[in-house]
Amino acid sequence: MGIDVTPATVLRRNPDVVLREEDTDGALLFNPDTNQIRVLNATGLFVWKFMDGTRDLGAVVASFRESFEEVPQEVEAHALAFAGEMAAAGFLHPTDSPQA
Amino acid sequence: MGLQKFPQECNIAITGRCNLRCHYCFYANEMTALADLPTAVWLSFFEELGRLGMMRVCVAGGEPFVRPDLFELIDGLIANRMRYSVLSNGTLIDENMLAKFEVGKRRLRLDYIQISIDGSCAEIHDKSRPGSFEKAIRGLRLLMEHRFPMAVRITINRHNLHDLENTAKLLLEDIGVPSVGTNDAMPIGSGCPNEPEVALTPREYLVAMKTMERLRTRYPGRLTATAGPQARLKMQAEMEEAKRTGVKTTRWGMGYLTACGCIFNKLDFLHDGTIVPCNMLPDLKLGNITTDSLEEIWRDHPTLRALRERRFIAMRDVPGCGDCEWNEYCNGSCPGLAHQMLGDFNLPNPRDCYRRFLEDTKETECPA
Ligand code: SF4
Ligand code: SF4
Repeated sequence: MGIDVTPATVLRRNPDVVLREEDTDGALLFNPDTNQIRVLNATGLFVWKFMDGTRDLGAVVASFRESFEEVPQEVEAHALAFAGEMAAAGFLHPTDSPQA
Repeated sequence: MGLQKFPQECNIAITGRCNLRCHYCFYANEMTALADLPTAVWLSFFEELGRLGMMRVCVAGGEPFVRPDLFELIDGLIANRMRYSVLSNGTLIDENMLAKFEVGKRRLRLDYIQISIDGSCAEIHDKSRPGSFEKAIRGLRLLMEHRFPMAVRITINRHNLHDLENTAKLLLEDIGVPSVGTNDAMPIGSGCPNEPEVALTPREYLVAMKTMERLRTRYPGRLTATAGPQARLKMQAEMEEAKRTGVKTTRWGMGYLTACGCIFNKLDFLHDGTIVPCNMLPDLKLGNITTDSLEEIWRDHPTLRALRERRFIAMRDVPGCGDCEWNEYCNGSCPGLAHQMLGDFNLPNPRDCYRRFLEDTKETECPA
């Protein structure tokens, strides 16, 4: 279950989370505090890398659209759901406002 | 099978020292002559592990609790985003020691502390682990009392073979640990000269298997094993089933030298910084953490490559296995013992050869 996030929500990566970008199997996130693992596809990895607390989710999705061709309409909904679930599981932390 | 960029797990023997002298210890003889690395070297190594994405470290020895800087090292693992477990003989665990785990994230990041218990009483346990029963049980009870995540290991050997039921009762019923793992004493390290004293004969192995089978029924889901009699019993049953039905299990590679998977998943480090594929292959030195690139070793070291390619060798082509009726179903088992006993890891582990086991135990009226 996720937490409520909107395009205006700003999240940043939990600095304790390990990102492993594997050659063949995509990427994997490991939260050593909770012992949880998440497997990321390319979209998830892109979103993860942009979660540095400096931009809101709307801006992250806009960057995604700029970086890839023929991005389906539902990418925003997927990105919000992903971010909400990752925040609920402690992989991402909400911030009150974008950090410079 | 795609090779991970870098393993997710490793065992690190942070010390070669120990307050005990167990009769089957891997860590004996020439190993104890190697010097322990100082704190600073381990800490900078942990930074490197963190950079490479290591997720889990099993802190082993020797006995980890003999190192006065143990908690500094644990904090180094935590600072570099790792979880950890500790393998211990349990004898140095007291209230003070456990209180130190309550600092910072030490407890949060702890997967478990594993303690070895080899008998239901000092008379049995101390035969293979001299002078340690009372203290080990005290350590175990303290872990239980303070609700630490824990594991218990019984190393089945000639001394405790006929005490397994009592030991299981002590641990699972009287003390109430959630589960117990078992393996068996192997001829590695001081287990070599002490092999006749500790390692099970084939007939004793059969007794151990039958006993473990009974105990598994008595304590469903609470006895685990990845090696030793309980694991071998399961493997042999799968071989029998595959031969009878012609359907091979997909759980492990039948008919090829596929055991084991460790070389795809982990690296091990000795207390002087020597990098080895596994602590069952302690003399296959791949390099040292103070001088060599971990990534290069993991990816390119010829010994690791050879160990990984072992899985392409069909059992029917292995010397001594060509005419064996089991060669389509066997996987040769752990290369560590093949290397140790025969000097060649591309051979099957002779202690796990099913054909030989059947010959050695035929006409055995199992007394168990
Ligand atoms: S088996 Fe463990 S407790 Fe026993 S001597 Fe070896 S390192 Fe020490
Ligand atoms: S059972 Fe023994 S002889 Fe047969 S294939 Fe396996 S290791 Fe070789």
